[in-house]
Amino acid sequence: MDSPSPASAATSPAFAHPSGRAGFLASLTPSRLVFTLALAFVGAALLNPIFITSFPVLLGRTLFVGVLSLVTFSAAGQWPRRLPGWMPRWVVQVLVVALTLPLATFLVYLLAVDGDVPALLRHEGRLSGLIWIAGTGLLVGPLLALAALYRERDAQARSQALHFELEKSQLERQALDARLRLMQAQVEPHFLFNTLANVRTLVETGSPQAGPVLGSLIAYLRGAMPRLKEQAASLGDELTLVRAYLELMHMRMPDRLQFVVAVPTELEGLRFPTMALLTLVENAVRHGVDPSEEGGRIEVGAQRDARTGLVSLWVQDSGVGMSETAGVGTGLQNLRERMGLFFGPEARLELSETPPHGLRAELKFTPP
Amino acid sequence: MSTAPVTALVADDEPLLRESLILALKRAWPELEVVAQARNGREALELFEEHQPQIVFMDVHMPGLNGIEAAKGIARRAQLVFVTAFEQYALAAFDEGAIDYLVKPVEERRLVDTVQRLQQRLEGGTLPSGEALDAVLAQLSGHLSLQHQQQRSEPWLQWIKASVGAALKLIPVDQLIYLRSDEKYTLVVWPEGEALIRTPIRELADQLDPQIFAQVHRSVIVNLREVSHITRGANETADIHLRGRSEVLPVSRAYLHLFRQM
Repeated sequence: MDSPSPASAATSPAFAHPSGRAGFLASLTPSRLVFTLALAFVGAALLNPIFITSFPVLLGRTLFVGVLSLVTFSAAGQWPRRLPGWMPRWVVQVLVVALTLPLATFLVYLLAVDGDVPALLRHEGRLSGLIWIAGTGLLVGPLLALAALYRERDAQARSQALHFELEKSQLERQALDARLRLMQAQVEPHFLFNTLANVRTLVETGSPQAGPVLGSLIAYLRGAMPRLKEQAASLGDELTLVRAYLELMHMRMPDRLQFVVAVPTELEGLRFPTMALLTLVENAVRHGVDPSEEGGRIEVGAQRDARTGLVSLWVQDSGVGMSETAGVGTGLQNLRERMGLFFGPEARLELSETPPHGLRAELKFTPP
Repeated sequence: MSTAPVTALVADDEPLLRESLILALKRAWPELEVVAQARNGREALELFEEHQPQIVFMDVHMPGLNGIEAAKGIARRAQLVFVTAFEQYALAAFDEGAIDYLVKPVEERRLVDTVQRLQQRLEGGTLPSGEALDAVLAQLSGHLSLQHQQQRSEPWLQWIKASVGAALKLIPVDQLIYLRSDEKYTLVVWPEGEALIRTPIRELADQLDPQIFAQVHRSVIVNLREVSHITRGANETADIHLRGRSEVLPVSRAYLHLFRQM
């Protein structure tokens, strides 16, 4: 790639500067043009007292010299395309400006005398004017060229830093997503085998339950398999998954697990992160109901505040509640992070103990 | 053989799995009489005492008293067969052959082997030695507690249990701003509120992620992300100012080194 400056040669294509004609036009920014014109005006105003020539004529000359310097400065930023290694482009640009200033001044005066060089050299006033303009220009021009180059580099560095920041946050996001997908993909083998062992009994004994239970298993597996395409499904999909899981667990411990899933149908279309509700339900079974000899009841419910739009979604069990040894379950930290990513930092996961025993986990969020 | 039928107890919390094992046993050992079924460890012990079966098929994972604890109660009074859904319970101790195990779902061929071994042992009147039983039980409990630890997965405390009004709440630890103790209680402060808990601060200090929390005083632990700035005080002490809050927390001399070179 023929990058215009060494600074951008090392960067990614995303902000390599346009080269050639496009680069030349791009470097003639309006602000540079305005700055040049203003400076020419100031220069003319400062030189005016020592010139016999009228101010408009003098202004015309300084404007011509200024604009021509800007044009050659910009051109030297693009051409020649390749420079020898020992010659940095910024040196070329500064040198070109230093050369343009006296030459342009000379050109302006040459126009004034209709190309008569001896006449120009003989006329003492014009000669001193030429030297004044060229001299002032030479004093200021290369410095300004340097300043412009510095600013350009600075802006490049900043946009590069921004770009890297963006890239970094995107990578972080991707890494997080990957981690989440991985965690979602876990269908625990012993859950699967235990369930299949149960299903086998139903089949062997010719139980009419076998068909519906297999249906639940299929629904559960479909929901719990890692999704390749979309990250999120609807709350309705999640409820299908939760019901399938609870049906399976109910088959496994019919005398110990009762459940009810009652969510208003109008909430089922809500976009919702997969496995988020299931995580809470699994915890309620594993850490609430299963450790108890008597078992318990699990209630999944939801409501939306008509005024604020806040949705709360809860899983409540009448199991053993929180104990020192059992902990409150796995993946809750991860769930909190996911809810935050999905619904914004206002999303909450609240846990509280319910009398006489049991745990209530509540997700609170405002859908977009 | 004209002797009385061999009796067995089946303990599993999942009724269909009890049924499944009993069906499979009927095929593999038609003469065996399953005299009782237990739904948990406590029932297994009670029914064992009541029926005195010669064989106990014991699920490892059961609510209340688990299979390992129930097996300790039965000890060497019966032939034990552990039943588990976890392949990894196939422990070294089982290789001794004194005690059998079955993995769910139970494979018929594997069950036939087990039945043969049980019949041999019953004929010879041999029971597992006390050492063999102890070895199996110790290894099983080791696996079970390991599994509990893995379920916890996070090494640091994640939630703090505190009562707020009438409700008992769990506060995510990373939302805590600071903890401060007086003689009896520890004050826990997070953006939406504060609560008193009974756990002393020195106990909490060991359980909090040191990347986020620092003990800065005998009675103060602070979330470092919430610190706005620190001012030096007289006599080698300092004060911590928090982001967007008016409280000032003390740093005692012993903890001042935490904030040097920062």
